[in-house]
Amino acid sequence: MQTVTSHTSQRGVMTTSQQDTAEKAAQLLAQIAESRSRQAFSELFSHFAPKLQAYGTRQFGNEQTAMDLVQETMTNVWHKAHLFKADKGSPSTWIFTIARNIRFDLLRKNKKRKDDISADELWPILAEQNDNLDDDYALDQDILLQEISHYYGQLPDAQRIVVEKIYVEGKSQQEVSDSLGIPLGTVKSRTRLALKKLKELIVEHD
Amino acid sequence: MIKSHPSEAILYQYASGDLSASMTLVVGTHIDMCSICKQTVCEIEEELCKKHLDSIVETICAPDKGSMSKSQCDQMLEAIFNSQVKPAVQREDLISLEGRRFNLPTTLAHNAHRIGEWTHLVGKLWRAPVNLSDDGQTNLIYMEPGAQVPEHSHKGQEATLVIDGVFNDEHDAYYDGDFILLDADRKHTPRTATEDCLTLATLDAPLFFTSGISRLLNPFSSLFFR
Ligand SMILES: [Zn+2]
Repeated sequence: MQTVTSHTSQRGVMTTSQQDTAEKAAQLLAQIAESRSRQAFSELFSHFAPKLQAYGTRQFGNEQTAMDLVQETMTNVWHKAHLFKADKGSPSTWIFTIARNIRFDLLRKNKKRKDDISADELWPILAEQNDNLDDDYALDQDILLQEISHYYGQLPDAQRIVVEKIYVEGKSQQEVSDSLGIPLGTVKSRTRLALKKLKELIVEHD
Repeated sequence: MIKSHPSEAILYQYASGDLSASMTLVVGTHIDMCSICKQTVCEIEEELCKKHLDSIVETICAPDKGSMSKSQCDQMLEAIFNSQVKPAVQREDLISLEGRRFNLPTTLAHNAHRIGEWTHLVGKLWRAPVNLSDDGQTNLIYMEPGAQVPEHSHKGQEATLVIDGVFNDEHDAYYDGDFILLDADRKHTPRTATEDCLTLATLDAPLFFTSGISRLLNPFSSLFFR
């Protein structure tokens, strides 16, 4: 639960008991993800359902819609517990973002639009393959890191520096853009060219 | 080096789920590209969670008191355990136009199935609608190198996000990830120079073209933003 602590030390407001609660909730989510534990889910449910119900009631001013929000939010938690990442925030914040999305859908459902856009499309927080998506040119699977480290020295300087920062130092393209003071588009095109060149080098030497 | 970001007020509305669908798409796609705004939104979501969930003291499904009774809880649990997983939204990460391929940031990739046919407009401009069944009009606009959009002002607000490339107007140059919000009375003339540019734009009212020759192009406004 390192992140919870570091997040909050920044703001310095979370009490120890809240931290304990967050830790407990994270454990329950892990149990649900690993073993589909109904016991763990019931425990999580009795903690969060009344809170969600209060949120829903204040948002909709309607008991039934509030209950729909509780049910749909917790249904997502049950099926998607494996998508909770403890290093990205607290369990309650994750559950809140799910509830926020359900609220968006319920508000629009009332407007009865055909082929309506859903919150799952607009905030893809529950998408299965959401890792590494920020990096447009995530390392091609057919180029091993080892091979890169072997050949990147042969790239032109401008490309080599970008590849070094991204694949050796693990920086994002945005960070590279910031640290070198060049536009993100340039970082992208240099990465693209460098990977192309590396592929050629690797094939040549195979 | 993104230098043009949504205001904190817009990020707050985004995190609360209070923006229109089209604005949520444009702001969300900016956030995919912008680590600074991503961090700000995470912090806002924490705040919102404290306000809406953590502050609620009722914490258990009590047998007979509180807003949710034990039997209501048990009923709902039963329904949840018997529920089916919703089919996931399909994402497409690439779009092609004129032999160019563009990577779509996550949020836009989840809406790729809503992108309609590309239409060649006048000159070096292309447009594809993003069909959000929303009140706003949302389009991908592609400008070839050396393209110019006739000077125009807006009846409503126009939000533009650079997905890939660079364009200029009389105020500045805008690169990948830059988010530009223009008010109703602000005139501008977007153009490209040696690079091309793909943008995502949303408008809550039709455009008005203001310069002489382009007044003749006014039907173009209905083509451009539809
Ligand atoms: Zn930003």
